[in-house]
Amino acid sequence: MLLTVLGVAVIVESVRMPRLQELGVDPMSAPGLTPGLLGVILTGLGIALFARSVRAAPVAGEAEGGWGRLALALGLCLLYAAGLVGRMPFMAATGIFVFLFVAAFSWGRASAARMLMMALALAVGTAVLVTFLFEKIFLVRLP
Amino acid sequence: MIDQLIDLGAAIVALAAPSSLLSVLWATLLGMTVGMLPGLTATLGIALLTTLTFRMAPEDAILILISMYVGAIYGGSRTAILLNIPGTPANAASSLDGFPLARQGRAGEAMGLATVGSFLGGCVGLVLLALIAPQLAEFGLRFQSYEFFWLAVFGVVISGRLTAMDDPIKGWVAGFLGLLLAQVGQEGIHAYQRFSYGSVDLAGGFGLLPALVGAFGFAELLSVMKQPAYQTVRDYGGRVLPRLRTVLSRWWLVLRSGVLGTVMGIIPGVGEDMGAWVSYAAARRASREPETFGSGNTAGLLAAETGNNAAVPGAIIPVLTLAVPGSAPAAVLLAAMFIHGVRPGPLIMIENPGFIFEVAAMVFWASVAILLLGLALTKPMLFVLRVPREYLMPIVFVLCVVGSFAIASRVFDIWVMLGFGVFGFILRQMNYPMAPLVLGIVLGDILDKNFRRGMVLSDGSFEPFVTRPISGVLAALTLVTILWGIGPVRRAVARLFRRS
Repeated sequence: MLLTVLGVAVIVESVRMPRLQELGVDPMSAPGLTPGLLGVILTGLGIALFARSVRAAPVAGEAEGGWGRLALALGLCLLYAAGLVGRMPFMAATGIFVFLFVAAFSWGRASAARMLMMALALAVGTAVLVTFLFEKIFLVRLP
Repeated sequence: MIDQLIDLGAAIVALAAPSSLLSVLWATLLGMTVGMLPGLTATLGIALLTTLTFRMAPEDAILILISMYVGAIYGGSRTAILLNIPGTPANAASSLDGFPLARQGRAGEAMGLATVGSFLGGCVGLVLLALIAPQLAEFGLRFQSYEFFWLAVFGVVISGRLTAMDDPIKGWVAGFLGLLLAQVGQEGIHAYQRFSYGSVDLAGGFGLLPALVGAFGFAELLSVMKQPAYQTVRDYGGRVLPRLRTVLSRWWLVLRSGVLGTVMGIIPGVGEDMGAWVSYAAARRASREPETFGSGNTAGLLAAETGNNAAVPGAIIPVLTLAVPGSAPAAVLLAAMFIHGVRPGPLIMIENPGFIFEVAAMVFWASVAILLLGLALTKPMLFVLRVPREYLMPIVFVLCVVGSFAIASRVFDIWVMLGFGVFGFILRQMNYPMAPLVLGIVLGDILDKNFRRGMVLSDGSFEPFVTRPISGVLAALTLVTILWGIGPVRRAVARLFRRS
């Protein structure tokens, strides 16, 4: 259903794109031609999927666990990439992220002191090594 | 043909400089490590390494990227054999017989056989690369807008069909979504900014590398962290070096798997996993004891590993000659070639005739490296599999962030990576294949420009798109692929053949 809506939206947007006829441009090279074609195809595929899902019996969702772990990983990654990077020095942002990630996912597996030491070592090692490797060896700019 | 083999030999000798071989060794070893780790794929490895190598000389950078590619496709066999988890999607067929062999205490033998199979598959593929690519490039010179349009459509349709055998509609949806995503930003004929809504960043379009790093790196990270932890490995058991007689007596299986793998590699967007599956299926059909496949048959493992590594040079053939990737990792390789100023396409045999043989020589040395490193470092490489994922994944994500940002120094690319990661994860959860999506993103520009140019040249008529000989064949192949994907049509044709 979502795909059909997307396809229709793309068709509408493509039709709204300028034909550039005032510039003497051939209408067959109008910018909206290809997106319009793709919109039609996606709408057709969306209808096919929708029709099939209506005909087929509903399938029970997978009862796999791990959604908590997924949410934690997603949250930490978004915090790092969208929250920390660019707002503080890259090395500090990376150190904080790696420490939090390792500590959060190792929680309860070993003694707290050992787990924190491991997380700290990995955080410092990764932050220093990645910064040094990219900036000094490969001459790449960091965010 | 002899001239081409002589050129290939000369290129292999010319590449045998110590500095080049050192690059091959470290990049292949890195590739094997990437391939072994569940969640890290050849596509991600090449994308991240492109970031590191983009200030290097083009030939050095491409050598390193190809070594990473060959190493990663091979490296995944270790995980398939020892953990029953394919390290990369290309090794899924290897786990069918590799893991039962490991459970019988023959993991060493299985790893040795996979190593030799991968080496031989690479060799068959690179010879075919040297022989086929020049002919295909010459053939590609006849392509005009109409043919390139159909090539893009056919690529997405066949890729969608073969990577989603059970549900081709999902494969086609992924492919056409990829083509649509490629339309975002400034188009190449009138410089009109599509779907950008006044955003300067969107006007630049989605960068291929950040999109791939997201779809193959961040999405994989989320998948891996969602799953329960895998068992670590302690022992590989017994002899690793396979007996020469075992391999020599199966020369026909190796040759057939190598050719099938290469052919699967050449088909746009299909790649290494289909190379392995088709070779495996052919070996099973030809076997006198097909019932033993899946319970530890060494022929099955040999066929799968020969097939997937032969598909690597196979997937490079359309990259070099038509600028159309044969697989997802090959798509990144194509992007890396453009970044380094190499212009693959039908003109390659005119502008840079030696390049095809140089690339084949790179595949050769990388294949030699997997043979040596794979047999010599069996035990040390097991340590890689003992690294807990919670230690590894944050480092991978840091590399994803840096890798997305580094090519263009745009913070927007980090957002693209995050967006494609979440989008890719959702698609995976719904069993949509990733390869057609990637191929669509790569082919979007080719489709757009050539469709509109063709329509202008034909005064708005679709006729030349179907009446020109090569166009007509590509259009017919596209139609057959679509019809073959529709269940009732396929069953009706099968009934018709049974009756006749």
